[in-house]
Amino acid sequence: MDYANEKKEDSFLTRPVKSVFRILGIQNSVLIGLNLFLFILMSIVVPYFFSPANIEVLFMGFIFEAIMALGMTLVIIAGGIDLSVSAVLPFSAIVVAFFFKANFPVIIAIVLTYIIAAGIGLFNAWMSNTLRVHPFIATLATMLTVRGLALAISNGENVTSDFPKGFSFLGQGKVLGLTFPIFLFIILSIVIGVLLKHHRFFQQVYFIGDNPKSAKLSGIRVEAFMSFIFVLSAVLACTAGILTAARFENASNSYGINSELRVITAVVIGGTSIVKGGTGTIFGTVLGIIFMSIIYNAFVMAGINPYYETIVIGTILLGAVFMVEMFKNKQMKIK
Amino acid sequence: MNEPLLQLEKISKSFAANRVLDSVSLEVERGLCYAVVGENGAGKSTLMKIIGGIYKPDTGKIIFEGKEVNFNNPKDAIYAGISIVHQELSLASNLSVAQNIFCHREVTNALGFIKWKDLYQRANQLFETMGVKIDPRALCGSLSVGIQQIVEIAKALSLDSKIIIMDEPTSALSENEVDHLYQIVATLKERNVAVIFISHKLTEVFRIAEKIIVLRDGKLIGNLETTETNRDDVISMMVGRPITDLFPAKNTSPGEEFFFVEGLTRQGQFADISFSLRRNEILGFAGLVGAGRTETARAIFGADPKDTGTIILDGKKLTIRNPMEAIAEGICYLTEDRKTLGLFLTMKTRFNIIAASLNEFVNKLGFFRFPQIKERSLEYVDLMQIRPFNDDINVINLSGGNQQKVLLAKWLCAEPKVLIVDEPTRGVDIGAKAKIHQDLRQLANKGIGVIVISSELPEVLGLCDRIAVFCEGRITKILENRDLSQTEIMKYAAK
Repeated sequence: MDYANEKKEDSFLTRPVKSVFRILGIQNSVLIGLNLFLFILMSIVVPYFFSPANIEVLFMGFIFEAIMALGMTLVIIAGGIDLSVSAVLPFSAIVVAFFFKANFPVIIAIVLTYIIAAGIGLFNAWMSNTLRVHPFIATLATMLTVRGLALAISNGENVTSDFPKGFSFLGQGKVLGLTFPIFLFIILSIVIGVLLKHHRFFQQVYFIGDNPKSAKLSGIRVEAFMSFIFVLSAVLACTAGILTAARFENASNSYGINSELRVITAVVIGGTSIVKGGTGTIFGTVLGIIFMSIIYNAFVMAGINPYYETIVIGTILLGAVFMVEMFKNKQMKIK
Repeated sequence: MNEPLLQLEKISKSFAANRVLDSVSLEVERGLCYAVVGENGAGKSTLMKIIGGIYKPDTGKIIFEGKEVNFNNPKDAIYAGISIVHQELSLASNLSVAQNIFCHREVTNALGFIKWKDLYQRANQLFETMGVKIDPRALCGSLSVGIQQIVEIAKALSLDSKIIIMDEPTSALSENEVDHLYQIVATLKERNVAVIFISHKLTEVFRIAEKIIVLRDGKLIGNLETTETNRDDVISMMVGRPITDLFPAKNTSPGEEFFFVEGLTRQGQFADISFSLRRNEILGFAGLVGAGRTETARAIFGADPKDTGTIILDGKKLTIRNPMEAIAEGICYLTEDRKTLGLFLTMKTRFNIIAASLNEFVNKLGFFRFPQIKERSLEYVDLMQIRPFNDDINVINLSGGNQQKVLLAKWLCAEPKVLIVDEPTRGVDIGAKAKIHQDLRQLANKGIGVIVISSELPEVLGLCDRIAVFCEGRITKILENRDLSQTEIMKYAAK
């Protein structure tokens, strides 16, 4: 009963197995190739595209979505979705600004904002775990409510005054030559990426996403873990909100509008399947983020009508989903 | 004397007003294999789920290793040493074999990071003790169902299980894989593990079990030594009456040939399939899993494309490009996998019955004519003896046998000339099996040509008038079913 060797002899079986590995690489390799192609193309078309200044502008243009995409990746792998991030972002910016207005010290204000955001994540988890509301509906409801709350407490106006000194570092300061949000994103993506791949606790997300019932039978506390995931997503959205406020020294209700869709697009282009949980990597998401950053920046730089922007993104999104499906069908055939 | 590993004392369980288990007492000893048999609804699964901690008994005691236990959830049972290998496999397809086996119990360092080398090594050690070789790095989704099942058993073993419960383990396996499973069960017994398995296949029950536990209507009817009983006794205990007519009488004088398939070919699936079907006849498609029988049927039905080949019905050459055209011509195909391909589980029986013949039940504007739908569906519920006698129930709430009857009713309602049924009795109990066999025979007698695809040779032999044997995508022989033996069919099925 040598199943390992049996496969080596049987080319009918080995070929699809190998191609599964190959195609897993293809999704990422195509993205890497596409990103490189765009970089080179843009460097030729626009001379100063590849300048440090523009690279910073390029990544800063999508950095807040990028931070939220890390959490979204985990949510989607677990078989869920979190639409509320786009409301948590402006809400957190406004809340932290209000704490400053009330003369709270920077650290306390930030910690309190995080606690409130985590509460929103817990609320999402509660609706999905206990009330059994589908995450799409639950987080849609949260998105509307929280956006409304932000409008209500700010009276629809920007909160600008009284940002303490030092706070703006979070949006504008430099660490190792990198603007702080970019630096933070790099750290976060490495930490979450490594944990997801190698840490027992984070690995649970794949079991849950693939089959929550059997994950439960294997001793995984599915509900508790989902709560963690939703809280993580909300906390990252809150991070994006605080950084946005620090960057612009202003908290506005207009932040993050439709950003949930941009975030989901980046995650899906990165190869995380929204149809069936259990697949996806942070590496893929990072590639998706880089792609989105280049596209948004390229249209501005090349002075192309921005109406074409979403056409390109839509087409690539379709292509990415198509690749994921193709990969899945290949896998189905061997079963 | 050794005390038994597990003792059940007067276990009862009810769901709402429905008493599913009635005071069942049982003892399980180490190193033996127990087969649990009974009709659908006899309480087999419920009993297993109580042992495995998924349900709690209403009354009764469970004594495991001399201590009374009270499992609150499956986790308790698993950590106590009772694992269930479910019928629907539950491995995460994008993770490796080793990760699935040690799911949530991976070897880690102090910070919780997985030690991959140790993980693979431990998986290999485990496979070694089981006498199998499986690559622990392979992704589970890339493995066949049979190998996935072995991985599930390995997972149970890695949990140090003393009892491993398997729910119809062989229902989706090829013959080769079944043999491997039997060997693994033997290894488990040597390691003093008690194996309990639910099965509808008595042949396999008699082959690997030491003890046979018969349940009927939630009561323990028999606890038998395999060596001291026989097939007929077990069947009559299961159904409460002797079943003499599992297969109806064959047709001795079939009519003229009216349906021809000639030279049907699809690259890589099947080649040069030619056969004819006579009126009032049941033709069997026999062969091993993967011999191309289902693929052929799907191509005839238009569900998959074909490369070449002609199909002639009643003297007319048909061009069938999709299932709709096939149904319109009177060719119907009852799928192998009733849950995913055949039934609309969350819809009412009524709509399932008319699903393949909707056009008959609408007026000129396309609106449903409900009174007619109700009349016709009740007619079929009555004809097929679907229980409960009601067309207003969601199909998901029916038992497997009754679901199969609904599926059959759906195709009868479409008034076929040729009906292809794929594994019509998989996973249904013996009473429903006999009923389905009778129904198929009655259809044949009415003049419908019936083609039965079945992997169970006794069924093919008992039911069909002629048998087309498939092997590696070709028909190797078409045999008249007169005094045929299983060996003779296998001669052509396995090359």
